[in-house]
Amino acid sequence: MAADTDESPLTGGTDHPAESRERTGNPVVNRMENLSEAAYAYLLLIPAFALLALIAFYPLIRTFVMSLRADETRGADPLGGFVGIENYVDILTGNARLARQFVDVSLSTSFPFVELGVPLLQQALFVTLGFAVISVIFETVIGFGQAYVLDQDFRGRRWVRVAIILPWAVPIVIQGMIFFLLFQPEVGFGTDVMQWLGVFGADPLADSRDAFVIILIADIWKSAAFMALLILAGLQSVDRSLYDVARVAGASPWQRFKMITLPLVMPALLVAMLFRTMDAMRVYGLIESTAGCTTVPSLTCLVVEAMFGGTRIFATAAAVAFATALVIGLIISVYVFFFRDTEGGLY
Amino acid sequence: MSDDHETTESTESDGNSDDPLAERWRQARRITDGGQPAERGRERDQDAPHAFLLEDEDDAELDRGPFQQWVATSISNPKRAYRAMFYTATIFFLLTTLFPFYWLLMVALTPEGQQQDIILTPNGFNPGAFIEVFQTLPFHWYMFNSFVIATASTVVVLVVASLAGYAFGRLEFPGKTPLMLLVLIISFFPPAAFFIPLNDLFNTQFFALEPITGDGTLYNTPGAMVLPLSAIFMPLAIFILTTFYAQIPDGLEDAARVEGTTRLGALFRVIIPLSAPGVATAGVLTFIAVYNEFFFSFLMTDGQPENWAPILEGILGYQGQYEVMYHLMAASSIIGVIPVAILVIVAQEKIVSGLTAGALKE
Repeated sequence: MAADTDESPLTGGTDHPAESRERTGNPVVNRMENLSEAAYAYLLLIPAFALLALIAFYPLIRTFVMSLRADETRGADPLGGFVGIENYVDILTGNARLARQFVDVSLSTSFPFVELGVPLLQQALFVTLGFAVISVIFETVIGFGQAYVLDQDFRGRRWVRVAIILPWAVPIVIQGMIFFLLFQPEVGFGTDVMQWLGVFGADPLADSRDAFVIILIADIWKSAAFMALLILAGLQSVDRSLYDVARVAGASPWQRFKMITLPLVMPALLVAMLFRTMDAMRVYGLIESTAGCTTVPSLTCLVVEAMFGGTRIFATAAAVAFATALVIGLIISVYVFFFRDTEGGLY
Repeated sequence: MSDDHETTESTESDGNSDDPLAERWRQARRITDGGQPAERGRERDQDAPHAFLLEDEDDAELDRGPFQQWVATSISNPKRAYRAMFYTATIFFLLTTLFPFYWLLMVALTPEGQQQDIILTPNGFNPGAFIEVFQTLPFHWYMFNSFVIATASTVVVLVVASLAGYAFGRLEFPGKTPLMLLVLIISFFPPAAFFIPLNDLFNTQFFALEPITGDGTLYNTPGAMVLPLSAIFMPLAIFILTTFYAQIPDGLEDAARVEGTTRLGALFRVIIPLSAPGVATAGVLTFIAVYNEFFFSFLMTDGQPENWAPILEGILGYQGQYEVMYHLMAASSIIGVIPVAILVIVAQEKIVSGLTAGALKE
């Protein structure tokens, strides 16, 4: 495969006398010198792909294979016989042996996020999707505002930028701790404020809907900064002379924003949203360190609970893990489709 | 307003005036004017008749109230209104991002058992919490573990991603784009999809590992976190380094090769030193990402500091079985944020450029 590709001009063809290429006495290095460019490239990629194979490809395949077998709650072997897609059918119909269901459609007749204790917020798929959609929308709007501020020239901009990036750099556990304390009725004033507004019940961290809101706020606080950074890169690549032209043509600031800034920033904005959606779909640590997985079950929560819940439902855990990957893959494809369309329309 | 003022201002707005008198005049002007001397000065420079108009209005407004006057000037000079909106937005963002940290500090400073109704000031003053943190749990040990894990992962990622970045950035080979896409796809998968087999694997006893880890498993060793975390954060580093390595002119590498360097020598002696900013960027981002990670850090150890549990186990540890030590949770959180805060302050340019290079690559 590698031998017939073009050679680097420096190493030359294979017809050179061998001794002229022996730069060192080390046979390994000499062999490396004699490789074609493509072979050398593959050699350099081996460590990266070996690591990815061990940590990502192999586990992914194993997870899939595990998910096709039955749960074995007794006996030495944790996995039973081959059952095909039965585990997937179980988790999709709400019959899996999980503390919180992946999805349980028959119950979901009421509107989400409005009434207290709606079962919808105890179904992992809807919790995760709702979390991803709402948090990404808010983060995009707030991140855009922050990026717009950072795009201006003003004194102390360096320090304002540090302040705005800082939440992004906070460890997830500390982010969780801050908002746990803020909304812990004994310590924080967050609950008082929300109760005064009439939004929260008595113990928000134990209530699915209230805890969902807390986790949203915490995530928006941290991740708007990430969005702001990516959008800022888009804003700074906009050619300033376009604004001058628009100003001469009499465009109002709103028109300048709508006709110049937004279209030109759109690709960066979409990439940022894609990244954030992926991340939001994986939410786990924030939930674990604030309200706990029983109150707000996310998809990743289900996997961890099934693994360590002591009920030995490893095959179901694997099915949920793989289904999570599938859901995320589905969302990527929707985005990529949308992304391609938008870019094609813009340029 | 005399002509004298007019000339002083126009020279200032050119930025050349070192005259102390002019400086004082400018300050005085800033106070009466709501803070926009340079803006208005420039306007006058550019457009003299317009400036006259503005001044006439200023004179006519003398008998209005302050708010009405502000509104009137805003209408005649919309830039001021935008300026005001901009400052409002900036202050709002600063307050929302920084207030939680400030409040956390107030909780940490409040003595134990008095944590009610803290908003702007602590109930009492107890800086001893920052020492108690280390006495109650070996928090320094957790921090040390976190540092070791983050540093080791950063080194692994930088070495492996440098090789891959060189191949992707500077070499032509069949299958380049599919392989890059494969790397990208990995960064999209949820850690949960890798976790179950990895957990099995790390709990399996390998004879070869026995001299190193004692019982032959990777569980409860730094390896159980360094390996998966390196793999998960490597794609971003590969994209950053690919961008930087691709920008080094071919001539420099050729020159080194003519001088007799080996291929790997050219990479480590020419390409990597010339891309030092890129390597630093990838390093800082990887370090922060590993230090902040939750999933594997939480699940790959049993939470004991002697078993390499990272900082997050320490912070969660103050939520003990018998009592919940809120002030220690807050204090340990502040201590845990300090290293990344320093990194952000020192390396903010690199973080910004690296995130955007890595994310906007495709």
